[in-house]
Amino acid sequence: MAWRSNPDSPAFRTITGQVELVLPVGGTYEDRAAWTDEALMAAIVAQDPFAFAALYDRYADLVYATTLRVLADAQLAEDATQDVFVRLWRRPHTFIAERGRFISWLMSVSRNRAVDELRSRGRRRRREGPGLEAPDEQASLLIPDEREDPQHSVEVREEQVLVRRALRDLPAEQRLALEMAYFGGLTQLEISVTLCEPLGTIKTRVRLGMQKLRRALEDQR
Amino acid sequence: MESTHITQDQADEYAIGSLDPEAEPIVLYHMGICSECRSRVQAAERVAAALALGLRGHKPPRGLKQRILVNVGIARPHPLMRAFRWSRAVAGIAAVFVAVAAFTGMLSVRGQIHSLRDQNAHLSTQVEDALSTRVELVAQAQRLTDEENASQELRQTAKAFQDLTLAFLSPESSVADVISKEEAAGAQGRLVWDPDQSKLWFVARGLTPRKVGETYQIWVNSGGKWYSLGTFNSDASGFARYDTVLPQGLKTYESAVVTIERAGGAPERSGPSLFVADLSAIRK
Repeated sequence: MAWRSNPDSPAFRTITGQVELVLPVGGTYEDRAAWTDEALMAAIVAQDPFAFAALYDRYADLVYATTLRVLADAQLAEDATQDVFVRLWRRPHTFIAERGRFISWLMSVSRNRAVDELRSRGRRRRREGPGLEAPDEQASLLIPDEREDPQHSVEVREEQVLVRRALRDLPAEQRLALEMAYFGGLTQLEISVTLCEPLGTIKTRVRLGMQKLRRALEDQR
Repeated sequence: MESTHITQDQADEYAIGSLDPEAEPIVLYHMGICSECRSRVQAAERVAAALALGLRGHKPPRGLKQRILVNVGIARPHPLMRAFRWSRAVAGIAAVFVAVAAFTGMLSVRGQIHSLRDQNAHLSTQVEDALSTRVELVAQAQRLTDEENASQELRQTAKAFQDLTLAFLSPESSVADVISKEEAAGAQGRLVWDPDQSKLWFVARGLTPRKVGETYQIWVNSGGKWYSLGTFNSDASGFARYDTVLPQGLKTYESAVVTIERAGGAPERSGPSLFVADLSAIRK
């Protein structure tokens, strides 16, 4: 399992139209495509490039969607997505399988990286505005249609269906509060100021929203 | 906070990122020492992550995967990118060479400038020396010219004295005594008439040099009319020698006088007479 990449090796194989990966002995990209997330991460710890490519193909759209949702800038989202995957390759041991599922960890890492970028650029106000001016658009992002993303595993697709259904069942004000906190990087005080609502009201909405989301996810599982 | 566990609300707020920034380090600290609370927060983080999971997937831009794989070192850049990087590297190296060449050229030019400045200074010194030499040569040439003029003048004087001597020796010449008037008391003069040389001389001594603005002028009388034969002056010793060609067209000479006239000569005699000579005995 301890495959090592060898960039200088002449044995290159084209996986896609643009990518040339070093071919490890005894394995192919197609083998990794069927592996679980945790198995891929274990292979990435051993610097398996095919596992990394498979993981990218599996979750790049979600990572990019998350960073784009936070940053609202395609170029910044692209850079943040690159940072997330580069960090995943170079420090895969930061994911500990015993603490939870990989997809949750990856989404948290993506969101945190994007929020860090957002805060460093002082673009918080920019993110606040569209959230209030175009609630329908935000709702459509959080509550998309239930079409499945075909590249994801069955398990992830089922997870997405559950999450989207749970989010759809949330009251709009609770969903908005969660969204402003999670994707906008705002504290509850900042949300109350932005929405001109009492801080206690915002705290209640966040608390209730998280409770309902947790319960819905547990029930549907 | 260290002594109390993290509540579910705090865990949710931390997981969703809305926790008060002042409370965040306390939560983090407690998570480090309490596995139960750490598990609670991690569970809340999984719920919060569901918000992102609920997003519809958005296809990343083309080329991002290639860029990431190249970045982490497990893929080669696209041939076009490699070519671009090579060209950029070549351009960079070329730029370095150009810069080095320019710097070297600048140093070379600077050295040449210094060399030219030295040469220019050397040439300037040579030009100055040449100019000094030229000035000296001009001065020497002037001195030679002056000496030559002086020599010429001496030769002319010697020639004049030689002619005067010949005039005295010639049997054809005539010498007329000159009578001094009162204004020329003590002075003596002779008038020599030489038909062979077609010249006449007036020689005198003890003749006071005329002051500025005056001159001696010699006249000859023919048919009752005075004709000027020219002007002269005496030297510091009082010696005067004047010669001129014999006047043409005059048939008779009765007398000659020397007068004091204004400088440059007068058209008609007007000054006082100093010498008077009787020319009636002179052969024509």
